[in-house]
Amino acid sequence: MTLHKAEKVVIITEKLILKGVCQIIEAYGGTGYTIVAAGGKGSRNVRSTSDRAAVVDDFANVKIEVIVKSKTIAETIMNQVAKKYFENYSGITYVEDVEILRPKKFYND
Amino acid sequence: MEFLFDFLMRLVAQFQSPTLGFLIGGMVLAALGSNLKIPNAIYQFIVFMLLMKIGIQGGIEIRGADLSAMLLPAVSAVIIGVVIVLIGSFVFSLLPGIKREDGIATAGLFGAVSASTLAAAMVLLEEEAIYFEAWVPALYPFMDIPALILAIVLANIHLKKQNGGKDSKVDVWGIVKESLRGSALSALILGLALGLLTKSEGVLESFYEPLFRGFLSVLMLVMGMEAFARINELRRVAHLYAVYAFIAPIIHGLIAFGLGYIAHVTVGFSPGGVILLSVIAASSSDISGPPTLRGGIPSANPSTYIGSSTSVGTPVAIAVCIPLFISLAQVVFNL
Repeated sequence: MTLHKAEKVVIITEKLILKGVCQIIEAYGGTGYTIVAAGGKGSRNVRSTSDRAAVVDDFANVKIEVIVKSKTIAETIMNQVAKKYFENYSGITYVEDVEILRPKKFYND
Repeated sequence: MEFLFDFLMRLVAQFQSPTLGFLIGGMVLAALGSNLKIPNAIYQFIVFMLLMKIGIQGGIEIRGADLSAMLLPAVSAVIIGVVIVLIGSFVFSLLPGIKREDGIATAGLFGAVSASTLAAAMVLLEEEAIYFEAWVPALYPFMDIPALILAIVLANIHLKKQNGGKDSKVDVWGIVKESLRGSALSALILGLALGLLTKSEGVLESFYEPLFRGFLSVLMLVMGMEAFARINELRRVAHLYAVYAFIAPIIHGLIAFGLGYIAHVTVGFSPGGVILLSVIAASSSDISGPPTLRGGIPSANPSTYIGSSTSVGTPVAIAVCIPLFISLAQVVFNL
């Protein structure tokens, strides 16, 4: 089994801006992404996960994971998201080195 | 004096009404740190059920109603929504220590409408056997949408000035679309269409109508729990928000009562309708408004407007304004 190096960008942010974040990911070279519901504590208060009835569901958090082939693409996506949203919306983003099995899935062309 | 006594008696009686009881019960549970949880999916389903019932009933009534009688109350609703936002933005601009866009967003949310408050008022009017036209709840979007649009436009004009004319256009049609697509308004409008176009009396009487009160009680419990949870957020922002959130619903309702009274005299708008219009004006949005404002005015701090609305505005609208306007109507219209 041959594993290939790739980068995983993780973005934890408000569900409200999910659509816009996904558009950025696709526009700057991401071929796909995974979204999971997220909760926890940060600089802007505690965010609950979905078991409690929240009056405003859109203020829940999500965690978006994107695997891309190079660090350049990863950094571009992170920069664009931070530039567009993180001044006004809560969010953190980081990148991790990962090893993947089928690199073809992450090439756009 | 008699009015005051009547109002106080009514207020005491209100605290025995199950609707308010559930609201307070929810607050107490949250204050005691209870682990009771109402799943989000159920909460959303309840909101859908309530608005569907309100919509279908309104649609059925509109079928046979005189459209000209609806015109003046509908225009009044639009005026009230706009006036609330203008007054609120102006008042907040005079107060110290308030960020301008936070104040405008808060005023916008108080101009918008709460489905849960509306439903609670309908149940209380039915309990008191006060008649209202079933299409009155359908005035909801006429107040809700103009208020949200105006708040977003005002805030963006302000921000544009602040940024020295940096171009930031406000997409009015986008806000209208987003409001109409929101969970509350889409259910209400679908219900209206179904009531208007289909023979929906059967499903209304056998399903939506009997479940209405029970579901409302669960919704009130959720609102109570949420109100308490949001108080913590409100504590971190200027206390003037809490003062505004307490007084504003009463003032807004009185403005609506005045306009409703004019409609009563000119086109025969029912006293129950006047009460309901006042309650709609007194209410502040907790479901559909916040995400719209968050999207439209991203730099406003959501703790200010959601905290004001959910933790103070909604409880005041339900517990104080509904009995206040019922007593006022009894004095004014000799009910």
